[in-house]
Amino acid sequence: MSLREKTAWITLLTVLICFGVYFGGIATGAVSPHGFDTLHLLLACVTAMAVLQLVLHAVVARRSPKAPHDERERLIQLRSHTVGYYVLIAGVLLLGVPGHMAYRVRDILNFALLAVVVAALAVSAAQIVMFRRGA
Amino acid sequence: MGVPIANQIRRLRFEHGEMTQSELAEKIGMTRQTIAAIEAGKYSPSLEAAFRIAQVFGVGLDEVFQWVE
Repeated sequence: MSLREKTAWITLLTVLICFGVYFGGIATGAVSPHGFDTLHLLLACVTAMAVLQLVLHAVVARRSPKAPHDERERLIQLRSHTVGYYVLIAGVLLLGVPGHMAYRVRDILNFALLAVVVAALAVSAAQIVMFRRGA
Repeated sequence: MGVPIANQIRRLRFEHGEMTQSELAEKIGMTRQTIAAIEAGKYSPSLEAAFRIAQVFGVGLDEVFQWVE
Protein backbone atom coordinates (compact mmCIF):
# COMPACT_ATOMS: atom_id res chain seq x y z
CA MET A 1 0.00 0.00 0.00
CA SER A 2 1.44 3.38 -1.01
CA LEU A 3 1.92 6.29 1.37
CA ARG A 4 -0.84 8.23 -0.39
CA GLU A 5 -3.31 5.35 -0.02
CA LYS A 6 -2.51 5.08 3.68
CA THR A 7 -3.07 8.83 3.95
CA ALA A 8 -6.48 8.46 2.29
CA TRP A 9 -7.41 5.69 4.76
CA ILE A 10 -6.34 7.85 7.71
CA THR A 11 -8.42 10.78 6.47
CA LEU A 12 -11.46 8.57 5.80
CA LEU A 13 -11.37 6.88 9.21
CA THR A 14 -10.61 9.95 11.31
CA VAL A 15 -13.30 12.04 9.61
CA LEU A 16 -15.78 9.15 9.91
CA ILE A 17 -15.06 8.60 13.61
CA CYS A 18 -14.83 12.21 14.77
CA PHE A 19 -17.80 13.56 12.84
CA GLY A 20 -19.66 10.32 13.54
CA VAL A 21 -19.41 11.20 17.23
CA TYR A 22 -20.52 14.78 16.55
CA PHE A 23 -23.52 14.00 14.34
CA GLY A 24 -24.35 10.93 16.43
CA GLY A 25 -24.53 13.15 19.51
CA ILE A 26 -26.88 15.54 17.74
CA ALA A 27 -29.08 12.87 16.13
CA THR A 28 -29.56 10.90 19.36
CA GLY A 29 -30.20 14.01 21.43
CA ALA A 30 -27.22 13.23 23.67
CA VAL A 31 -26.09 16.82 23.22
CA SER A 32 -28.35 19.64 24.25
CA PRO A 33 -29.29 21.82 21.27
CA HIS A 34 -29.37 24.80 23.63
CA GLY A 35 -26.42 26.81 24.85
CA PHE A 36 -22.90 26.06 23.73
CA ASP A 37 -22.94 22.26 24.12
CA THR A 38 -23.08 21.64 20.37
CA LEU A 39 -20.28 24.11 19.69
CA HIS A 40 -18.13 22.57 22.43
CA LEU A 41 -18.68 19.09 21.00
CA LEU A 42 -17.82 20.33 17.51
CA LEU A 43 -14.60 21.95 18.75
CA ALA A 44 -13.66 18.78 20.65
CA CYS A 45 -14.31 16.58 17.60
CA VAL A 46 -12.39 18.84 15.20
CA THR A 47 -9.46 19.06 17.63
CA ALA A 48 -9.45 15.28 18.14
CA MET A 49 -9.54 14.75 14.37
CA ALA A 50 -6.65 17.17 13.77
CA VAL A 51 -4.50 15.58 16.49
CA LEU A 52 -5.32 12.04 15.31
CA GLN A 53 -4.49 12.92 11.70
CA LEU A 54 -1.22 14.64 12.64
CA VAL A 55 -0.04 11.72 14.75
CA LEU A 56 -1.13 8.99 12.32
CA HIS A 57 0.31 10.82 9.29
CA ALA A 58 3.61 11.28 11.12
CA VAL A 59 3.76 7.59 12.09
CA VAL A 60 2.87 6.40 8.57
CA ALA A 61 5.30 8.82 6.88
CA ARG A 62 8.13 7.65 9.14
CA ARG A 63 7.45 3.97 8.46
CA SER A 64 6.89 4.25 4.70
CA PRO A 65 9.74 4.46 2.22
CA LYS A 66 10.24 7.88 0.63
CA ALA A 67 8.29 7.98 -2.62
CA PRO A 68 7.68 10.84 -5.04
CA HIS A 69 4.16 12.13 -5.66
CA ASP A 70 3.93 10.79 -9.20
CA GLU A 71 1.58 11.46 -12.13
CA ARG A 72 -0.81 8.59 -11.38
CA GLU A 73 -1.25 9.76 -7.80
CA ARG A 74 -1.85 13.34 -9.00
CA LEU A 75 -4.45 12.01 -11.47
CA ILE A 76 -6.17 10.05 -8.68
CA GLN A 77 -6.15 13.18 -6.53
CA LEU A 78 -7.71 15.26 -9.31
CA ARG A 79 -10.39 12.66 -10.10
CA SER A 80 -11.27 12.16 -6.42
CA HIS A 81 -11.68 15.89 -5.90
CA THR A 82 -14.01 16.01 -8.90
CA VAL A 83 -16.12 13.32 -7.19
CA GLY A 84 -16.05 15.34 -3.96
CA TYR A 85 -17.07 18.49 -5.83
CA TYR A 86 -20.22 16.84 -7.23
CA VAL A 87 -21.09 15.39 -3.81
CA LEU A 88 -20.69 18.84 -2.26
CA ILE A 89 -22.85 20.46 -4.96
CA ALA A 90 -25.55 17.82 -4.36
CA GLY A 91 -25.33 18.46 -0.61
CA VAL A 92 -25.62 22.23 -1.04
CA LEU A 93 -28.62 21.83 -3.35
CA LEU A 94 -30.25 19.52 -0.78
CA LEU A 95 -29.89 22.29 1.82
CA GLY A 96 -32.98 23.78 0.21
CA VAL A 97 -35.05 20.95 1.74
CA PRO A 98 -34.45 21.78 5.43
CA GLY A 99 -34.47 25.44 4.39
CA HIS A 100 -38.12 25.07 3.38
CA MET A 101 -39.07 22.97 6.41
CA ALA A 102 -38.73 25.75 8.97
CA TYR A 103 -35.55 24.36 10.53
CA ARG A 104 -33.53 26.70 12.71
CA VAL A 105 -30.40 28.38 11.37
CA ARG A 106 -28.26 26.23 13.68
CA ASP A 107 -29.76 23.04 12.22
CA ILE A 108 -29.25 24.27 8.66
CA LEU A 109 -25.62 25.02 9.52
CA ASN A 110 -25.29 21.44 10.73
CA PHE A 111 -26.77 20.18 7.45
CA ALA A 112 -24.22 22.32 5.60
CA LEU A 113 -21.43 20.86 7.76
CA LEU A 114 -22.76 17.38 7.01
CA ALA A 115 -22.55 18.12 3.26
CA VAL A 116 -18.90 19.17 3.67
CA VAL A 117 -18.10 16.06 5.73
CA VAL A 118 -19.81 13.72 3.23
CA ALA A 119 -17.90 15.41 0.38
CA ALA A 120 -14.60 14.91 2.28
CA LEU A 121 -15.49 11.26 2.85
CA ALA A 122 -16.34 10.88 -0.85
CA VAL A 123 -12.91 12.26 -1.81
CA SER A 124 -11.07 9.81 0.44
CA ALA A 125 -13.28 6.88 -0.55
CA ALA A 126 -12.81 7.66 -4.26
CA GLN A 127 -9.03 7.81 -3.76
CA ILE A 128 -9.00 4.43 -2.00
CA VAL A 129 -11.15 2.83 -4.72
CA MET A 130 -8.90 4.22 -7.48
CA PHE A 131 -5.72 3.17 -5.68
CA ARG A 132 -7.19 -0.35 -5.20
CA ARG A 133 -8.22 -0.59 -8.86
CA GLY A 134 -4.78 0.48 -10.02
CA ALA A 135 -5.67 3.68 -11.87
CA MET B 1 -11.26 -2.52 -18.17
CA GLY B 2 -7.60 -2.32 -19.20
CA VAL B 3 -6.16 0.23 -21.61
CA PRO B 4 -5.55 -0.84 -25.27
CA ILE B 5 -1.79 -0.54 -24.83
CA ALA B 6 0.37 -3.60 -24.30
CA ASN B 7 3.79 -3.31 -22.74
CA GLN B 8 6.97 -5.34 -22.40
CA ILE B 9 8.14 -3.85 -19.12
CA ARG B 10 8.11 -7.15 -17.26
CA ARG B 11 10.26 -8.84 -19.92
CA LEU B 12 12.60 -5.86 -20.18
CA ARG B 13 13.05 -5.79 -16.40
CA PHE B 14 13.90 -9.48 -16.49
CA GLU B 15 16.42 -8.93 -19.28
CA HIS B 16 18.06 -6.09 -17.36
CA GLY B 17 19.35 -8.05 -14.42
CA GLU B 18 15.91 -8.88 -13.03
CA MET B 19 15.37 -5.26 -12.15
CA THR B 20 12.63 -4.90 -9.54
CA GLN B 21 9.60 -2.66 -9.91
CA SER B 22 10.95 -0.56 -7.06
CA GLU B 23 14.29 -0.07 -8.81
CA LEU B 24 12.59 0.97 -12.04
CA ALA B 25 10.26 3.26 -10.12
CA GLU B 26 13.19 4.92 -8.39
CA LYS B 27 15.03 5.48 -11.69
CA ILE B 28 12.10 7.34 -13.25
CA GLY B 29 10.76 9.08 -10.13
CA MET B 30 7.56 7.10 -9.71
CA THR B 31 6.08 4.84 -7.06
CA ARG B 32 6.32 1.04 -7.24
CA GLN B 33 2.51 0.90 -7.30
CA THR B 34 2.42 3.02 -10.46
CA ILE B 35 4.92 0.75 -12.21
CA ALA B 36 2.80 -2.25 -11.18
CA ALA B 37 -0.32 -0.54 -12.56
CA ILE B 38 1.43 0.24 -15.88
CA GLU B 39 2.73 -3.32 -16.15
CA ALA B 40 -0.72 -4.73 -15.48
CA GLY B 41 -2.22 -2.49 -18.17
CA LYS B 42 -4.38 -0.64 -15.66
CA TYR B 43 -2.78 2.73 -16.16
CA SER B 44 -1.44 4.47 -19.27
CA PRO B 45 1.63 6.54 -18.43
CA SER B 46 2.19 10.02 -19.82
CA LEU B 47 4.37 10.34 -22.90
CA GLU B 48 7.18 11.70 -20.73
CA ALA B 49 7.01 8.74 -18.34
CA ALA B 50 6.88 6.32 -21.29
CA PHE B 51 10.06 7.85 -22.74
CA ARG B 52 11.76 7.70 -19.34
CA ILE B 53 10.94 3.97 -19.06
CA ALA B 54 12.27 3.33 -22.57
CA GLN B 55 15.40 5.34 -21.73
CA VAL B 56 16.10 3.21 -18.65
CA PHE B 57 16.07 0.07 -20.81
CA GLY B 58 17.95 1.77 -23.66
CA VAL B 59 15.34 0.87 -26.26
CA GLY B 60 12.82 2.72 -28.41
CA LEU B 61 9.35 3.57 -27.22
CA ASP B 62 7.77 1.07 -29.62
CA GLU B 63 9.74 -1.75 -28.06
CA VAL B 64 8.23 -0.99 -24.67
CA PHE B 65 4.66 -0.07 -25.61
CA GLN B 66 2.44 -1.37 -28.41
CA TRP B 67 -1.05 -0.26 -29.41
CA VAL B 68 -3.42 -3.23 -29.41
CA GLU B 69 -6.32 -3.05 -31.87
